[in-house]
This record gives sequence, C-alpha cells and structure tokens, in this order.
Amino acid sequence: MMEQLESKRLIFVTGKGGVGKSTVTAAIASALARRGKRVLAVETDTYSALADLLDVKLLEGAPAMVERGLWATNVRAEDALVHTIRQFVPSDRVSRAVIHNRVARVFFKAAPSVNEFSILNKVMALRDEGDSPSTRWDHIVVDLPASGHAVTFLGVPRTLNGMMRVGGFAKMAGKIASEIEDPSKVAVVAAALPEEMPVKETIELGQQLEETVRRGLTMVLLNMMHEAPFAPEREALFDRVRAGAASASTPGIEVERVMEGSALAWEWYERDLKYAKVLKDAVDCPVLELPMFYEADGASVVDRVSAYLNGERDPGGELAS
Amino acid sequence: MKTHDPIAPLLEGARLVVCCGPGGVGKTTTAAALGLRAALMGRKVIVLTIDPARRLANSLGLEELSNQPQRIDLAENLETVPESVGEGELWAMMLDQKKTLDDLVKKHAPDPGAFERAQANNIYRLLSSTLHGMQEYMALDKLHDLYTGGYFDLVVLDTPPTKNALEFLETPTRAATFFDERIIKWFIPSRRSRSLFGRVLDPGSVVQKLLKTIFGEAFVKDLSEFFETLEFLQQALQSRGEMIDYILRDEQTHFFVITSADPRRMKEALFFHEKLGELSQKAEAFVINRVIPNFEAADLEVANEARLKEFAGEDAPDEELAALSSELSKAYEALSRLARRDRDALEGLARKIGPELMQRVPMLGQDVHSIEQLLSLSGYLTPSRPVEL
Repeated sequence: MMEQLESKRLIFVTGKGGVGKSTVTAAIASALARRGKRVLAVETDTYSALADLLDVKLLEGAPAMVERGLWATNVRAEDALVHTIRQFVPSDRVSRAVIHNRVARVFFKAAPSVNEFSILNKVMALRDEGDSPSTRWDHIVVDLPASGHAVTFLGVPRTLNGMMRVGGFAKMAGKIASEIEDPSKVAVVAAALPEEMPVKETIELGQQLEETVRRGLTMVLLNMMHEAPFAPEREALFDRVRAGAASASTPGIEVERVMEGSALAWEWYERDLKYAKVLKDAVDCPVLELPMFYEADGASVVDRVSAYLNGERDPGGELAS
Repeated sequence: MKTHDPIAPLLEGARLVVCCGPGGVGKTTTAAALGLRAALMGRKVIVLTIDPARRLANSLGLEELSNQPQRIDLAENLETVPESVGEGELWAMMLDQKKTLDDLVKKHAPDPGAFERAQANNIYRLLSSTLHGMQEYMALDKLHDLYTGGYFDLVVLDTPPTKNALEFLETPTRAATFFDERIIKWFIPSRRSRSLFGRVLDPGSVVQKLLKTIFGEAFVKDLSEFFETLEFLQQALQSRGEMIDYILRDEQTHFFVITSADPRRMKEALFFHEKLGELSQKAEAFVINRVIPNFEAADLEVANEARLKEFAGEDAPDEELAALSSELSKAYEALSRLARRDRDALEGLARKIGPELMQRVPMLGQDVHSIEQLLSLSGYLTPSRPVEL
C-alpha cells in the first residue's frame, strides 16, 4: 500500500476531528522516512496535535528534525501570505508592509480563501526548494484541517482562478489547481474510523472531492479497527458462557466485568466489520485497515502505525491472533 | 448520599446551553441528549447545530434537518413517554448558512434590488458558504431569533469542534470588525473624497492599486461591490452583535465542555476551558463521553477457565473452552489497559477543574440513531432525575 504514496511527492491527509488524522499524518511521514526518504511533515492548523505526536517542538522558520530522514514544520497563514505577496512585490519588507497595512489587513481577512491559498502556495514552494538530493524533500505530508474544510481548502486555487481570471495571481492559482487535480502527482488520503458517521462523512468527502477538485481520494486509512475478543467460530460458546454467568446466583463482580468487557469488545468488532464493508463498497480507492493499538501515549501509537504501514505485523506482540 | 449530578439543576433553569469541545467525541449527540432530558423536564427545547454533517438528524433518528425548526414527536418515537414531559417539547434545526445569510440580507435590504445585486456578486456567493466566522456569525444570529422569539424555554447550541468554536464566541465583536467602517469607506468610491488632494493623501489608494496589481482588477472590484451591497447590514449586525454578547453573558446561559476520556481530547478540552476563561466565561459542566468501565486485569484471576466451564455447562468441549478462555484473557487485558488510561485521564482532569463539574458517560458498543437509544444514553447525563416510565 505504501507504494501508492511513495510515488507522490505531495501527500495531503484529511479527516474529521477525532478520527486520528494527525496520528495518520505523523505515521505516514515516519513510515516514508524509515524507507530511506527525506520527509517533511507539515501542520497547517494553529492547534494541531502533530508536534505532540512527533514529540518535537516546532519553532517558526526552519523545519525541526524529528528523527533520521524526518522533519516537521508549521506553515502559518501569515508567513505564507508574506511569501505569496512577495512574489508580486520587490522585497520581503514591502510584502510585510502590504499585509500589515490596516486597510489591506481587512481586505485579507475578508477576501475569501486568500489564507488557504497562501498555505497551499507555501507548501508547493517547500516542495520545489532544494536542488540536490540532500536538501530536497522526497515527500511532504500535510495535515489538513477537518474534512468539510479540506474540500474547500483544496478547491480554493480553482475557485480563485475562476474569480480572478486574469493576472499573475490567477495564473499562479491555475497552476496550483492543476497540480492538485492530478492524482498521479498529489495524494489525498482520508483518515476515518469504522463507525457510522465517520464512514458516511468519508464517502461524502470522496464525492465532494470529485465535484470540487475533480479528482478522487488516493486511499482511506481506516483507523482503530478492533480485534475480535475471541475467534468468531467461538461466538456461540461465548454466548453460552455469558448466559450461564448471567443466570448464576452470585457470579461475582469480577466475572460480570469480564463478561461485560468481552461483550463490548465483540460489539466493537462487529460494528467495525460492518462499517469497513460499507466504506469499501462505496469508495473506489483502496481502504487500508489499521488495528487498534492499546497504548496510552500518542508517540508510541505513531511508531506502531508507522511500522504497520511498512508491513511489520504485530510489532508489539500484543495483537490477538 | 445525594446523587452526583452537576447537569440537571442547570438544565432546569437555563435559557441557553452552549456545548463546546473537540471533534469526534459525540458532542452533537450529547447536545441532542441534553435537549431530550430538558424536554422531559417539561421544557420547550430546541437543539441548534451548525455542524454541516448530519449528526444531529442522525442521533434523532431523522433523515434530514432543515433550516426551519422541526419538532421531534416523542410519542411517536418512544415506546412510553415519561409523564414528567408535561408541556415539554423537543425541536431541532440545522443551520443552512446560505439561506440564513440570504434571509438576513432580504430582511434588512433597503431596496428590493439589494438582494439581487448581492446574489450576482461573486464574493457574496463564495462568502456565504465558505468564510470562517461568517458561519459562526450566522449561527449566533439564528440563536438570537430563537432565543428572543418567545416560544422556546431553552436553546441547546451545538458548536463546531474546538478551533472554530472559539471563533464562535469571539464572533459578536468580530462581526463588527468584519464590516469595519473604515474598510467600507475605503472600498466604496462614492464615500471617498473626490478631490485630487484627497486621493493623493488617501493611504488606501496606494494599497488598492497594489492589491489590484496582485489580485486583478475584477476581484478587487467584486470585493468593493460586495461591501457596498452589504453596507446596510453594518448597522443591523452591530446592534445584534451587542445583543448576542449580552445573551452569552446572561446568568441563565451555561457553557458545557464535551469531551472523551482520550488523553488528547482531554488536553483539547482543557485548552477550551482556558480559552473560555480568557473570554471571561466559565465551563459549568464537563461531560466525559465514552469512558471505559473499570475493567481490571486482576478480574481474570477470578473469571478463570474453571469458572467459564462452570457457566458453560459440563458438556462444553474442554479444548474449545481453553481456547476461548485464553482469547478472552488476552482481549480483556488489553481492555483493562484502555480502562486504566481513561481513569488516569479522568483523575488528571479532576485535579485541574474539580470532580464536582464532571459527569461521565460510559462507552457504548453502538452508535446512537434513534430517540429510544438517545433516551438511554441521556440517563447518564442527569442521574438524579431517573426517567419514570
């Protein structure tokens, strides 16, 4: 599955809040780095979990090194805007002066999507910088805002291009739009959970992407698939044990809890299977299922998912069967 | 001992409950459950969501919600309607931004042509559905109508995930800056000084020229037109903004933070709590969803293979039982790790905000998409008011 991502230099990761989008972003970046690539993970939100998950402090300016081959950075709207304006004015100073002008500030705040566009433009610039293999990014993995916004986000260059029609900015927007619309160059990965609403929303995301950005999803990573608490062929036996425990006069709190927990885990397993199928039937891109890792801290989950993406199964030795 | 229940007393007297918190924690479902509870206390409640996803409709067992308040017929959806409902009613609506903005423009337009001019404007078309802040503003405007309309006793407002929700609270003042007087003066040619002297001295003109070079004349022209068209909204929005600010600060307005026990969501919830503090507001209840019950690995010592055999009956095949027992142990151990993680996160939160504000809702194996399921979920929110059927 990683081969599909390895052939794209730009990878956008999207998904609704709470589905593990930042975890997936960090894991993809780390998996590519462990395949010997030079990778930059980018966060675009002011409150993103990416830095935490990679256990790195992101400062403004230069990317921070996370581990061998992996760097992370934050693209802030204002810096990106300076960078964009800079392409039309003679110096950084003039560029900053323009965006700090009181009147212009209101313009930028009100002008639809100028911020989103600048962020995309900056990401493209990061991709194009560096002239040798040791300074050039093999992959840039971008943690996009939650999915409703992601479609708007990726559709911004086309919209601006249509609205402005002529001039340098329109041309720049048109160029970026064509790149994003090319599925052979840019990957759009959706992170999802095997639950009703997240699955529904992922299916809608795929459709909206086709409508707005004229391209589909590259793949869906279905996060936190629960393992069955026992082999499915033993379901009847489990039911028998549970019924026996329920009718016992004093089964004890411990037994009750084990039965309750196992039944809960079985419900999760059945629900996950059901919605994974709904998703697979509805989208026409590969769906990769990621197991649930019972870990407390974010950074170690990233490690596990990254290893899993690279084909290592059961890295912690804790998965059932 | 009195049942721990920070929420019920608030629901009884509140006129507005704002549910905020991170995404993916069941916030919308919780808002619906709170609305249902208040309706069962005899109140006329409307749950308002601006989440473009159809979560609210879904948890109410509906296909879709419209921009108009829609009544949820409790008698039709519940096997037995608790007697406590009395005059109580449950309503729901989802904000359609585009329609709301159109309505607002129509309502305040000085002449019939103003709405048509707005609709013909590229920026209006784009802004009405995409601009951050605009969406939040529209929601607050709707909230204002519902709140002051006189029919509903209580509005339960479901906000978008953390970051946007913060904008939401700042919106009353933001609306004013969005339609900043200066920018309007600057963009609208008729208002500007026509004298040569004025034009040379006007700092805006240099910037405007530069912006035209960068963004193209058509775009800047569209934007000027947009401000011109919507100039009449300025006054209306500003006075509403002040009114909404007043509503948000009323003592019958309560902020609830909804989160899950996941350590990262907890962190986001705390971030929200702090941000509320900065805005001189206070979260009066924390709902912690999807808490894993107290599963302890030590339980397995009691619930061992011999016990399982006892429950299954003598004729159960030994080998199969041994396999089941070993599988269950492994899975239950993993579950107990998850339970431990939740417990630690809850203790951490309790140390920061105090346990008296917290209400936990246990993890359920299924999604909520009927009123019946919503009712059983809502029982955990207000345990001191059990529903009598």
